[in-house]
Amino acid sequence: MKILRALVKKEILQIVRDPSSIVISFVLPLISIFIYMYGINLDFVTVNVGIKNDDNSPEIAQLANSFGHSKYINSEISDDMNDLTQKLIRSKIKGMVVIPNDFSTKLEQKQSADLMVIADGAEVNTATHLQNYILQISNQWLASSKYAQLMSPQIVNPQIRTWYNQDSNGYYFILPGSIAITMTLIGILLTALVVAREWERGTMESLLSSNVTRMHIVLGKYIPYFILGMLSMIFNLILCIGVFRVPFHGSYLVLTFVSSLFLFASMGIGLLISTVLKNQFFASQISIGIGFLPALLLSGFVFPIGSMPEILQYITRILPPRYFITFIESEFMAGTVPSIAIKSSLFLLILGVLLFWAVYKNTDMRLSND
Amino acid sequence: MIEKLKKILALIKKEFIITWMDPKSRGIIIALPIVQLILFSYAITMEVKNIDVVVVDQDNSTESRELISRFDLSPQFRNIYRVENMKQMQNKLDNKDANMGLYINNDFSTNIISHTPTDVLIITDGRQTNSAAIVSGYVSQIVSDYSQEIAPTNGVKINVVTRNWYNPNLEYRWFILTVIVAMLAAVITLILTALSIAREREMGTFDQLIVSPLSSVDILAGKTVPPLIIAMALTCVMTFVVKIFFGMPFEGSIVLFLISMFVSLLSLVGVGLYISSICRTQQQAILGVITFMMPAVLLSGFISPIEDMPVFLQYLTLLNPIRFFMVLTRGIFLKGMNFADVSMNLVPLIITATITLALACWSFKKRQN
Amino acid sequence: MDTVTIEHLTKNFRGMTAIDDLSLKIEKGKITGLIGSDGSGKTTLIRLIIGLLLPDHGKISVLGLNPETQKDELNKKIGYMPQKFGLYEDLTVIENLRLYADLKNVAHDFEKLLEFTNLKKFQTRLAGALSGGMKQKLGLACVLLGSPEFLLLDEPSVGVDPISRRDLMRMVRDLISPETTVLWSTAYLDEAHSFDTGVVLNQGKVIYQGKPYDLAKTTEEFENKVIDLMGGYRKTKSRIAENYIPKNSDVEYTVVADNLEKLYGNFYAVRNNSFKIKKGEIFGLLGPNGAGKSTSFKMMCGLLKPTSGTARIMGVDITEDPENARANLGYMAQKFSLYEALTVKQNLDFFAEIYGIHDENLKKRVDEIIDIFGFFQTRGQKSGELPLGFKQKLSLACALIHNPPILFLDEPTSGVDVITRREFWNHIKSLAQKGVTVLVTTHFMDEAEYCDRISLFYKGEAVAIGTPSALKNKVRAKSMEEAFMKLILESEK
Repeated sequence: MKILRALVKKEILQIVRDPSSIVISFVLPLISIFIYMYGINLDFVTVNVGIKNDDNSPEIAQLANSFGHSKYINSEISDDMNDLTQKLIRSKIKGMVVIPNDFSTKLEQKQSADLMVIADGAEVNTATHLQNYILQISNQWLASSKYAQLMSPQIVNPQIRTWYNQDSNGYYFILPGSIAITMTLIGILLTALVVAREWERGTMESLLSSNVTRMHIVLGKYIPYFILGMLSMIFNLILCIGVFRVPFHGSYLVLTFVSSLFLFASMGIGLLISTVLKNQFFASQISIGIGFLPALLLSGFVFPIGSMPEILQYITRILPPRYFITFIESEFMAGTVPSIAIKSSLFLLILGVLLFWAVYKNTDMRLSND
Repeated sequence: MIEKLKKILALIKKEFIITWMDPKSRGIIIALPIVQLILFSYAITMEVKNIDVVVVDQDNSTESRELISRFDLSPQFRNIYRVENMKQMQNKLDNKDANMGLYINNDFSTNIISHTPTDVLIITDGRQTNSAAIVSGYVSQIVSDYSQEIAPTNGVKINVVTRNWYNPNLEYRWFILTVIVAMLAAVITLILTALSIAREREMGTFDQLIVSPLSSVDILAGKTVPPLIIAMALTCVMTFVVKIFFGMPFEGSIVLFLISMFVSLLSLVGVGLYISSICRTQQQAILGVITFMMPAVLLSGFISPIEDMPVFLQYLTLLNPIRFFMVLTRGIFLKGMNFADVSMNLVPLIITATITLALACWSFKKRQN
Repeated sequence: MDTVTIEHLTKNFRGMTAIDDLSLKIEKGKITGLIGSDGSGKTTLIRLIIGLLLPDHGKISVLGLNPETQKDELNKKIGYMPQKFGLYEDLTVIENLRLYADLKNVAHDFEKLLEFTNLKKFQTRLAGALSGGMKQKLGLACVLLGSPEFLLLDEPSVGVDPISRRDLMRMVRDLISPETTVLWSTAYLDEAHSFDTGVVLNQGKVIYQGKPYDLAKTTEEFENKVIDLMGGYRKTKSRIAENYIPKNSDVEYTVVADNLEKLYGNFYAVRNNSFKIKKGEIFGLLGPNGAGKSTSFKMMCGLLKPTSGTARIMGVDITEDPENARANLGYMAQKFSLYEALTVKQNLDFFAEIYGIHDENLKKRVDEIIDIFGFFQTRGQKSGELPLGFKQKLSLACALIHNPPILFLDEPTSGVDVITRREFWNHIKSLAQKGVTVLVTTHFMDEAEYCDRISLFYKGEAVAIGTPSALKNKVRAKSMEEAFMKLILESEK
């Protein structure tokens, strides 16, 4: 016990002496939350659109104008098709709406009239959004125009309610979710170099010839960085709940518990890298290479896991942020849902323990032959 | 002059040997990006598929069953769970056993028969608003199609006919592949450059270089060329994989692509070297890389469009090489961007490259004294 | 009673034999010196004894325990100081002591140790900021904590000045109990001569074991005997010097330090350091660790900007035109600073090329160097994996590869075996005769005698400059070591 305490104390002193770990723990969350808050918008995006109206009826001119009134569209009315095409290629606009010259005539004749939308398919998301916006706006216009009485009544109307987040405020899920991404990175970066450093500086050789056991070495690394990581986690949550006012409906106790399991698992990845490689250079390269992108892209934060091919869905199971994202979003917005909390905790615990075991097994107590 | 080039060539050769000799290092440069390329491109899609629906059908009529069967038939939907009441529905949604709820009132069929407008309640899961928005789009479409069919008369209607240029079937993979190629190339470039000087400083080999007759420009050139060549080779390999494996179109000119790649990667090398030149230890260098890389990836426009950001962030992204790198890959792959369009996007990259390389050179010289 | 019994021990690394069927007994309560040429297997043997490495064949018994299976129990009874001792450089002196005390489960009673090591007033200084000698003393203090039964020291005195070296010796002799066994590996044969037993290793085999005093009565004689045991040293003409092409220059003083000063905060690391070195002269910088020798060195070759003053190399000002000044320079740093990931040959190729040797000349020169320095066997090995002595040899080779008219050598012989040291000095002296100017630092006082002139450095200032005999006469000392001690003491007053 005394040995473990001494190792933990040593590590804490080292953390204090080289403030870069502390910088990672507190500056990174600050930058990241700021970016997710102001730079990321996942649901309703504004699109620049060019409008070309070939129909000269005044009623239709209203339609052409109404696109610009939507807060999701910045419209630009132009007659020059070539100019619009150029702009589309240069991504100045992401789509165009062409109102054909027989548009009003078709409507007068009680026929369905075609509205042509040309979208920049290179940007798939924007293209999909654009199509929906135009559909909605044109239908709204139709319902309020003089052609309204010519419409057939819509018998079944879908009433859409968004549970857990009535206003569909994207930040309510982006900010908590981003914590999972940031903390994965922090958990890995904090620990990825610490074992390799001891090997490179030769201090490991001294430790190995003292009374230190394998468990001491492993715990001596886990405990101090876990403490630092939890402080960082709390800082993240304070930013999220206190500063950016994301409503929290869950239980702080449950949140702390699951967060600590998540941190335990994330740190395991970093420690495993460090323990296996024993070399700061490669450990840095690997942790940059795998610390950020997989967490961002495969955790279900931005891209739904349910839509991935089945094999890849299984692969995502080894990513701690996957479980934490599901949990933290739900905990924030729906309160504690026992089944989700338990399932996430269980998976994180299994993952954390497996990684701990791997770190333990790979901790060499002798020098290797090369 | 030839003498000088030979010395720089020796520096370049040394970097290649060091990067190439160690199998771990080879793995990091080749295997890591290729595996991630394949993994990400199969995995990532914005589409929402395999949606599970929980249904409370109070009406239990032919009409209500007909509506529900429409969900069953739609390719995006997977399982339909029928439950008795709202409470059970909430339970299913809370636990994320279903992605959305459909509630049909007991007067549904009566209303339809009497042509009275009637509501169905759709509940989406706001814990992930992006998926929720997409799901409600699908549902509205299904309900309104159904509604059209049972409507007594045909009235006026606007058909929105969409043409998606450059990517007619809106293949999400085409979009994401161009993004991933650029992103992975950027990550590898940063990995290769950002640690290189800091590492030599820690090992002491840097002093040995400084006491040699090499000038700081020579040393910097020796540090610029190898990662640039490696990253360019890697990008070409990834492009090849993308073309062969995923049948991705390549509309533009290869020459323009090579030029764009060169300039983009050069500006990233500049960023990496600048980070490296101001860091004393490798620990500080990774910190620097992450502080640059995370914002640069997030604000590159691939997750969330640039036009949608606050104005000051939009200006900030003008300095982001990853942003323009992505615009160029996408533009050349899918849109066949011509020289004029390409060069417009190259301007900010050239400026960034000049600034970062100059900064690296300057801080590098300053450090020496 | 023997502390260590080794029978038929063999250890191979990647097909190379490091320990070859070795049998050895180490007597309890005695200090045993471990001597041997570079790569003879000293470090490997020590690591095998305490179970940090596992043997391929053979039996080891240490304090009645088997290090292969009972390493944990053994660890409690031993104190091991590796070559690169594991001090935490970002921890203070006292924090390091506390850490190792806790790891050994002994009380925090450091009074005596701090007294002995003279570290008392540096307790709160970071270990990384200590001078080389103080670091080693602190390292030894950490190892001595808890009074281990068996002390293993792997070259504790490498790069340590004579005064600190004496302190280290005193610490071991005074602080251990009579039952304690000590295994001390060293390249200093005066140290080894004073031990109870000497073990000489060569190519993984014990070639001599016995009382050093029985082998030779004096240190000098002992050195010659050991050299004979290790295969003997035959002085041949230095081929490096023979192939040296003198550079024509009419500069008389090829290296000039002009009032060099380096100020850190309000602390002068180096203060008004001036000297002129004539072409073909060997100029030695001597002084205790931390006296400012390396700082002067770094300023002289432009690695560090002086606060004031400058240096001129072949008449070229290092601060004004560093690139041209350095073109004439061969530099060997104190710490090994070649590319560890490159092989021996790749390092040689690289340094030859950046100094402007290309194509056929390159091949010729590198082959020549490989031959002269005996790198043929190791030319394909990564330089990071070489034993310390080989690394030093390679560093010297790289510094000499472009035939520089001026050589700056910072502790070239630290960690180098006695035969190689003689070879080094043979090269240095022969080169000087051909007109190469040499600036060198060393902690071996016998080497100081080879210098034409010496500047003795202490606390950032030159306290004495002159020929070795002039310095000795000045304080009426018999040996250089004595002169060193006396001059330092005198300047303290």
